Formats: sequence, structure tokens, C-alpha cells
Amino acid sequence: MLPLTATMAEPQHFSLVEKLLLVLLVAASAAGFWLRFRVVLGKILQSKPDASFRLFPIGRRILDFLWEVVLQAKVIRQRPLPGLAHALVFWGFCAFVLVTLNHFASGLGLGFLSPAGRFGRFYFDCAAVFALACAVGILGLFIRRFLIRPKWLGEKLSYQSGFIAFLIFLLMVTYLAAFFFTDSDPATRILWWVHTLALLTFLPIIPHTKHLHLVLSPATVFLSRGGFSQIPPLAGDEDFGLIAGTDLTRLVSLQAFSCVECGRCTEHCPTANTGKLLNPKEIILGLRGYLNDLGPASEEPLLGKYNPQEAPFQCTTCGACEFQCPVGIEHLPILIGLRRGAVNTGAWEDDYGAKLFLSLERGSNAHGLPASERDKFIEKAALPIFDGTQEYCLWLGCMGGYDPKGREIIADFARVMNYLGTTFGVLRKEKCCGDPVRRLGNDLVFQQLAESNLEALTQTKTRKIVSICPHCVRTIQEDWKEYGAPPTIEHHSEFLARFADKLPKQSRGNKPKSLAANSRTRDPREAGANLPPLSEPLPQPPLSIGSDETIVYHDPCYLGRYRNVYKKPRAVIALTGQLIEAPRNHERSFCCGAGGGLVFLGEETGERIGQVRAAELVSTGATTIGTACPFCNSIFRDALAEKGEAAPQLLDIAQLTARGLPQIKA
Amino acid sequence: MKIIVAIKQVPERDAQIRIDAAGKWIEESGLQYALNESDAYALEEALQLKEKHGGEVVVLTAGPERVGPTIREALAKGADRAIHIDCADLGSRDALGVARLLAAAVNPENPDLILTGLQSDDLGQGQTGVILAELLGLPHSSLILHVEKTETGFTVKRELEEGWFQSIELPTPAVLTIQSGGNKLRYATLMGIKRAKTKEVRTVTASDLTVDAAPVVVLERVALPQKQKSTQMLPGTPKEAAAALVEKLKFEARVL
Amino acid sequence: MSGILVVIEERDGRVSRGSWEAVAAGQKLAALTGQAVNAVVIGAQTEQLAAEVAAKALGKVVRIEHPLLTVYTADGFTLALHQLIEQESPAHVVFPHTYQVRDYAPKLAARLGQALIGDVTAISEGPVFTRQLLQGRLNGSYRPSGNGPCFVSVQAGAFRADEAQAGTAAISLFTPTIEPAQIRTKPNERFRGAAQTVDLGAAQRIVGVGRGIKDAANIPMVQELATALGAELGASRPICDNGWLPMERQIGSSGQTIAPRLYLALGISGAIQHLVGIKGSQCVVAVNKDPDAPIFEAADYGIVGDLLEVVPALTEAVKAVQQ
Repeated sequence: MLPLTATMAEPQHFSLVEKLLLVLLVAASAAGFWLRFRVVLGKILQSKPDASFRLFPIGRRILDFLWEVVLQAKVIRQRPLPGLAHALVFWGFCAFVLVTLNHFASGLGLGFLSPAGRFGRFYFDCAAVFALACAVGILGLFIRRFLIRPKWLGEKLSYQSGFIAFLIFLLMVTYLAAFFFTDSDPATRILWWVHTLALLTFLPIIPHTKHLHLVLSPATVFLSRGGFSQIPPLAGDEDFGLIAGTDLTRLVSLQAFSCVECGRCTEHCPTANTGKLLNPKEIILGLRGYLNDLGPASEEPLLGKYNPQEAPFQCTTCGACEFQCPVGIEHLPILIGLRRGAVNTGAWEDDYGAKLFLSLERGSNAHGLPASERDKFIEKAALPIFDGTQEYCLWLGCMGGYDPKGREIIADFARVMNYLGTTFGVLRKEKCCGDPVRRLGNDLVFQQLAESNLEALTQTKTRKIVSICPHCVRTIQEDWKEYGAPPTIEHHSEFLARFADKLPKQSRGNKPKSLAANSRTRDPREAGANLPPLSEPLPQPPLSIGSDETIVYHDPCYLGRYRNVYKKPRAVIALTGQLIEAPRNHERSFCCGAGGGLVFLGEETGERIGQVRAAELVSTGATTIGTACPFCNSIFRDALAEKGEAAPQLLDIAQLTARGLPQIKA
Repeated sequence: MKIIVAIKQVPERDAQIRIDAAGKWIEESGLQYALNESDAYALEEALQLKEKHGGEVVVLTAGPERVGPTIREALAKGADRAIHIDCADLGSRDALGVARLLAAAVNPENPDLILTGLQSDDLGQGQTGVILAELLGLPHSSLILHVEKTETGFTVKRELEEGWFQSIELPTPAVLTIQSGGNKLRYATLMGIKRAKTKEVRTVTASDLTVDAAPVVVLERVALPQKQKSTQMLPGTPKEAAAALVEKLKFEARVL
Repeated sequence: MSGILVVIEERDGRVSRGSWEAVAAGQKLAALTGQAVNAVVIGAQTEQLAAEVAAKALGKVVRIEHPLLTVYTADGFTLALHQLIEQESPAHVVFPHTYQVRDYAPKLAARLGQALIGDVTAISEGPVFTRQLLQGRLNGSYRPSGNGPCFVSVQAGAFRADEAQAGTAAISLFTPTIEPAQIRTKPNERFRGAAQTVDLGAAQRIVGVGRGIKDAANIPMVQELATALGAELGASRPICDNGWLPMERQIGSSGQTIAPRLYLALGISGAIQHLVGIKGSQCVVAVNKDPDAPIFEAADYGIVGDLLEVVPALTEAVKAVQQ
């Protein structure tokens, strides 16, 4: 039994031969590390500087670093058990910094932290706890990779990972074992040397494998672009996007080398999960492969050999990949950068894409319909025209202005605004906000649309905009900034939530108090297990809208992950019926497939993303599907069409709200 | 091979139509303009021929200063240079007058092929190309979907009524008017627009070209059509409604 | 210059319907101007054609005959007519507005220092000629102001062929001087488009089927209507998804974009994906049992009713009018 007074044993004396050997080995190991690391560092630094990179404000960077790196928050939250195991390993490494330094110093007779001293003993004992945790962690990860074999880690077993796991385990075991011996015990010396060799073997392996993330990822997280899907402006007249190695910037190269191959991005990618070519992990590793083989000065195309040209064009820009990445890789600017390279040079030949671009070159909306159609709708729905005196400009968008369902949503939202007494008007002329062309990488058309719209908004003195479409909200608020100063814009769920106390309550709504925590399921198998309890009935007599009605809410990508708005639409729905969660909800919401301009690009290959998601929503048994995006609504409408009469109702939150209004017309 | 493509800038398809004060045309202030649709196909055909056989594509257009962006769009899509006939009173010239202007600009160029769109989206006469051929003394063919270069000239695919087509052989030089839909149009790219900045645009004023501008056909006035497009619902039993519909299709819509 | 000359076009050896409409237009113009109206037929052998035309109330029918006019060429027809016009000096020359006329009439007019007033929809006192501008969104009134003959072509259906008054006309022969070297283009045999692939994009008439058809077993009924109309069959997405019709017949933003002269939307509700595919249609007819279906907004004519009753009725009515 280990006596309580035991502390880590270390050899007290090293012979000259040992010291020389140690120096040689350290030199060799360091050289092995540096020779490769220098190459990687070189490739990163030789890449084009990021023209729009700003170190300040530095607060965000520091916070991200603390949250994601130090606290391992994303790592744990999104894959709890493996994430925790990894965090233990990581914290173990952190705790071991002093231990390791002292280990080598003492090998040369220069030890500075003695296990005999008070602080030393305390430190080594704490480190032992970390070591134990680390050993457990690494063992768990090993079992996961080699015995459980989740498919996200790839088809082939990675013996490299196995070896590293073994080394880490060995390091921890040799450290802990030293607590069971005394300084003079020969076993102690053996343990010391095994530990040393393990370390010195590990070091040069780092830059040759994905374990490079140990060195790079803290920097990657710190230096990231921030925001979500931050698309950098093109830098100068010769920049058209990511075409060849010379277009890769330092940040992109850094991110490519930081990939830890965990597969979280691919695991949540709607495209990769429906049988298409796109695989976000492979996109990043493709860039890494390119940099390794050809380097950042190459003019060879990035697409073709390392990733098929079609792959980036299958992306819906849902952002699940970027959201999941624990090492700070920002997939969306890379995917869009690859698209830009193909589109801005005309290399992308796609009938539907060309049609979309031509429609927006000449016309006002993405459907290619005449603007008079929108005028007719405005007239028929008797929508007031914005003249600068009203509080809000109601942005119709391409769906609200032209799609029959989108128009219904607008009409209902207008009714709600009238009921609330909010003054609003619609613009006489509106052009597409440019979202589909922005995401497809057509900077020419996007610039034309953004500038034209900004001009029109300035002329009409628009200060506040409300929109039913998360794509419009995102594009207007963020992407237009490149060309001017857009007015403030909010999504109608944010608007409605603000007036929740003025809107009639249609049924025994649930207070969302435990909604956030309980229903944030990670595992689809847990669906239904975390439904929040019904709260007490509210004082007012509820409207009887089918007492067994349940509404499953689908988080739109551009409202959820992009804008971080989850609670507000739920609060609105809770006023109108009993809210239930889809198996994949909140930031795990599964895309409907319309984004990234894809809804305009013709039929998908493989399974249809929208149908997969619709089936998931239907499987909850809800009587109603609640949406907050007209594109999601349109996709589900098609997908549900096959079910005919048996399909659940499909209603936008504006429609759900409006049906509770008194029937008297304003 | 030197190809001249005559293009026209026209009001955007869904432009709002208000009749101007004089009652002779529509109010132009506030209108947005675009490249005429069949001219875009003519340009596309020319660019494809250039890609196949080499040479030069020159765009030619007559109009006021506002045609600048349309010229740049054509250059961005791949035309090599442009000739702009600066003409502020294009609307007061008839098809013959406009063709005379174009002919005067084309003459010194000695092209191998001249392409125009089939007809313009605003006036829709469909004559400029044919008249141009006559004035230049060149053979022509119209409603062309596809052009192929041959040893002696060109073989073209011409559209006939009711789903028929015909191939026609012509010598070079020749004039062809191009029908919409024969090709897939290319979209303007950022790269194209940037490159267009360095391409030559030669401006010549209409008065420099000394052509007879007196019109032989005059557009006296314009008016909005009586019937606005609205849905006519046909009531009655299926038999009655069907009969009414067929009557309308035959005599009102004239599509049967 | 005096008189109106109507240029007759032949279709498969007989006078085309558009030509009768041109005769009717010419007769109207004659009444307005108090001038005589004559006709001209062009070809290598025009005896039969002339006989047909001579049964109308015309002054005379001139047969322009020349071996080099066996097939239509712009050079040939222009030369021939030019020579006749020099001889006859008509004040007006009236054509049917056909693809062929569009190919040579402007050339002929320019040769005489004139410009064609094409695709005329109405002739009124003056004479003033009305034609459509801006894709039918505006009407323009045109008047000739030159010294040569006024060349006019009339839109198909603007004048009624059955209003061409009957009568008797004298027939005369005119032989133009044409040298082979003057015919610079060589036309080949005409041919149909590729039959194997379904190209809805080129079809002039299309019948579209939607979910309102309820059952695949009802599609033959729609096919009969399509056949009667000489139309292609198309479908909205759910129909193709169900496999009731092949995917290449899908009309909509993810399928084919169509631009026919006539489109019948049967049992299609009018989702935007479909509307986008049909917006190039000249005339849209919608049949749906839901009076609020969005398709009606996009239609020129609508019938609210049960497809299973309306479609057979339509087929019958179409067949009847084609007799």
C-alpha cells in the first residue's frame, strides 16, 4: 500500500555518460521536431498574408482562447464523453509542463523542483491526480478508436493514433509508478529513462502527424476570424477567391495544418450524410495535402486532384462543420472561397447557376420573375408602402414577395403587426439581398445587388428593417457591410418575442425555463426523453386549437447557428401551442438543404436533405411543424407533399401567431 | 476571324411603363437598362466561334451615354473591343436609319461575319440585321440558332415554324440574326469585368457618320393596350367552360 | 403609286392561312384608301396557287415564276418582288408576318428606301398601323412617311382568314430576271428536331399535369388532350417524384423551363418552383378544383372544376374546332 508520505521518486544522480546521452537524445529529438515543424511553419508563413486580419479587438480572441482551448468547452459540449476524455488528457499535458521541464533539468543535474520540498511535493501530488485522469482519458479514447470504432474517425484504423495513445499512457504510467519507489531504487532510473524516451519519441512525431494540433490549435483558435462564416473581402484586382496555392492565406494554411481529423464536421454535415461528394473534413485535409505536396507558391488548381470540383458546390452553408470544429477551423470562408475562385473566373459551368446569375444580373429577384409580380402582391394584400414615416420597413425578400407560401407568411405577419399597432411599410422596389450569389461566390453580382439596395434604403430613409427570412437578415446585417452601412435588421421571431406579453396565448403554452438545458440532445436516440413538463395552466381561458396539437420547431441554420437565436422563436411558438423538440435541435439542427444557393441549383444527387429532415420532424409525431424561414417552409412543403393528407401541418411562426388573433380585420 | 456583333441596350424587361408627356414613348427617367436578350445570344455565338477558330469579336452599339455599362458587360463576357456610336436621338430613327448608322461604322472594319440579335425587346421590329445586310450588299439569314464555320463560309441552323429547322450555307462575309435560346449564355464574372477595364471602346458620334436620318416610318404615338393581363375565369359546366376556352384560345389569344 | 399588293405565301403547296388573313387585311386597307387590291404568288410552278387566290375579291393575281424561285431564298424573292414592284408601283405591299417574310421583306423595303411596318395588329383610318411594343405591354401607331411603297406585315390571327371576301380575279404571269450568281445562300432540306430527347424547352404547346390528377391511371386521359392539341406532356415535381412521368418531363426550377405559346396547367397548384419554370409561356390556362390555387394568378384563363370532367370535355372541344 502506498504510504501517505510517498512522493515521486527520481534518480538523484546521473553519470556523465547518462548526461551526454541525454543531451544527444534531446538534440536528436528536437532536431527531428524542428526539421519538420520548420517546413510546416514555413508553408504557413509563406502563404499570402490575410489582408483583412486585425489583431484587435483582442478581447474576443482571449475569451475564445480561454473558453475553447483552456476550458475545452466546445470539445466537451459537442461530444461529451470523448470530449471530457480529451480534456483530461489536455489538462494533464498542461499540468505536466513544469514536471517535464524539471524532469529534463534534473537529468542534467539542474533540477529546480524537488519532490522533497513542500511546494514540490504538493505540485507533484497534484500532477499525479492529473496523470491518473489523463491515463484514464487516453485509455478511454483508445478504446473508442479501436474497439467502438465510430465511423466519423474514418474507415481505416489509425495505428499512428494508437501509438501516440500508447506513448501518452506510458508517460502517465511511468510518472505514477515513480510514486511506488524510492529514489535509490533501480526501478526508478528505469522508469525515468522510459519516461524520457517516450517523451523524446513523441516530440518529433508531433509535426509529422495530426498531433501538430497540439502546437498549432491554440494559435488557430486565437487567430481565427471570429464571428461565423466571416467571408473576407477580396484583396485587390487580382484576387478572385481560392483558385491555386498562391491564394491560400496564412490563416487558411494554419487552419489546414491544424486539422485533428476528429470528423465532427463531417458527422454533422447534411450533405456528407446524404450520399454526396462533399466531405468537410476531406476539404480541409485536401488543402493540407496540397500544401504538403505543392506548397503555397503553386499555381496548380486547388480543386481537381485533392477535392473534386463539384464538392464545394454541394455545400448548403449550414455551418454545422464550422460550428463543431474544436480547433478553430473556419470551414465556411474556405468553402465559399473555393466557390469564388470557380465562379468569379467563370470556370464554374452550371446551367442553373448561370440562370440564377443572369436573372440577378438583369432582374430584381432570384426567381427570374418580373418585378410586377411583387407589385401585384403588394396591391392585392393592401400592404402599406414605406415612406420614411413608419417605424419599420418590412422586407419582403424573394420568397415573401414571390412565393405563394412566403406571401401568406408576410400577410399573416402584417396582420400581427397591425394588431400590435406597429407602423410599417414595404419598399416600392426591392432587389434580392444577394444571399444566394454571395454564398455561391459571385462577387460581381453580389456587389451590384448590395450597392443598389443600400442606395435605395438610404434614399427611402430606412432605419429599421424586419424580415421573415433569416438569409435576408444575415446578408443585410453582415454581408452588406462590405459595401456600406446597412440599417439595423431583425428577424420576425425577435420582433414577436419582444411583444410576447401582448400576443394572445392560444393554449397551455410551456414556459421555456428548462427548455434550453434538457432538450439540447446530442444523441438522436435520446429523442423524446427530455420533453419539458407542462407548466401550470395560465389564468386566461385558452383558445381551443386542438388540445392535442403539438408543434415541433425546426431551427433554421441562418437563425440558429448563424445568429444564435434559439429561445425567441420558441417563446413565440409556446404562445401558440405545445412545443416539442426535434431529435436534432438548437445548434444541432439539421439543415433543410435550401441554403448556399442550392435551392436554385436544381435537383440534388443522393438522398434529398429536405426529405431526411422532414422525415425526422414527422417522426416526432407532432401535428404541426413550425418554421421560421420561408426556404425551410418551401422545402418541407415539397417533402411533405408526398404524404398527402397524413402530413402534419406546416406553419411559420407568423402564421401560428396570427391564427390566434381576433378575427376582426384591422 | 473578325466578328462584329451589333447589340442594343433596352429597358429592363420588368420596367414600369408610363407614357411620357409627348405621348410618343415611355418615360425614361427611373428606368433600368439591360442588354437586349437575343443580342446576348448573338454575343454568345460570336464568343464561341472565337473560342473555336480564334480571331476578334467587336461589339457595336448605337445609343446615348447610358449604354456604357452594357458595352462593358459585353467586354466582360469576352468581346475584345467595342465601337460606340454616340447617338442621343436613336428613338427618332426608324430601322432603316439605325441600320444606316451601323453600316457606316461597319464598313471600314471589313468583318468576316456580322451577328445581330433577332429583334429588340423594346421595339421588336426584327429588321436591323436584315437591312444592314442589304445596305452592305451582303448575304444574310435570320432566326439562326447555330453557326458553323466552313471552308467557303458558314453553315447555319435556321428555325422554321412549328418545330422545323433548316440548314443553310452562306459565303463569307455574311450577316446573321440570332434567335434566343440556341446556346447557354455565360454569366458576367468579376474577372471579366476587371479585364474589361483595359479593353478599347472607340466612340464615334452619329453626326460624324453622315447618314440620311430622315425617317420613312414614323411612330406617331403610343398607348397602353385596352386589356390588362388579368385572369379570365370561364364558368359553367365542364362542357360549357371547355367550349368557351377553346373559342378564346382560337380567336382571342390566337394560340390554337 | 397606287394600289395594294398582297404577297401570298405557300404552305405545302397550298395557300397558307396567314396569307388569307393578309388578303383580308389588304381588302380592309383597300376599303380605307379606296384603292385596288391585287395579289402575287411566287415560285417555280404557281398555277394551282394562283387559281386558289383568284377565287377572292381581288383585281388580279400575278404569278411570279422563275426556276430559281423553286425554293425560298431571300435573294431570289427580293429580286423578283423588287422587279414586280417597279413595274406595278403599288402604294402598299401587305405580307403575312411569317418567319419567311421577316427574312426578306425588310431587305426588299430597304432596297426601295423604305422600312417594313411589321407584325401589325390593326389597320385604321389614315392609314395608321398599330403594332405591339415592349412585349405586348404597349401599342404603337405607325404611319409611313417616305416616298416609296409602304410595306406592312400582319400578325397571325389579327385579321380573320374567313373574312377574305370571295370573288374572281384575273391571273397574269410575270417572269423576273434572276441570274444564278445572284442567289448567294443555299438552303437545304428542312428537318425536325431530335425526336428522342424530350425537349420541353422548345415545345410550342405543353400540357402540364399536377397532383390534382390523383392517380397515374388518369394520365392517358391527359395524353389524349395533349395529342389533340399537338402538345407535349409535362408535369410538376410530385408527379415525377412518384414516377408517374419521367423526370425529364418535370417543369419547374429544378426541371425544365418552358416558353410555349400555350401552356395548360392541369391540377397544378402553382408553387413558386413551378411558376418560375412556366413564366415564359405566352398563354397560360389553369384547371384546378381549388378556386384559390395560386396558379390562377399566373393564368390568362382559368377553369375551376374537376379535372376528370374538364379534361375530356376539353379534348372533345379541341377536336371539334380542328375539323
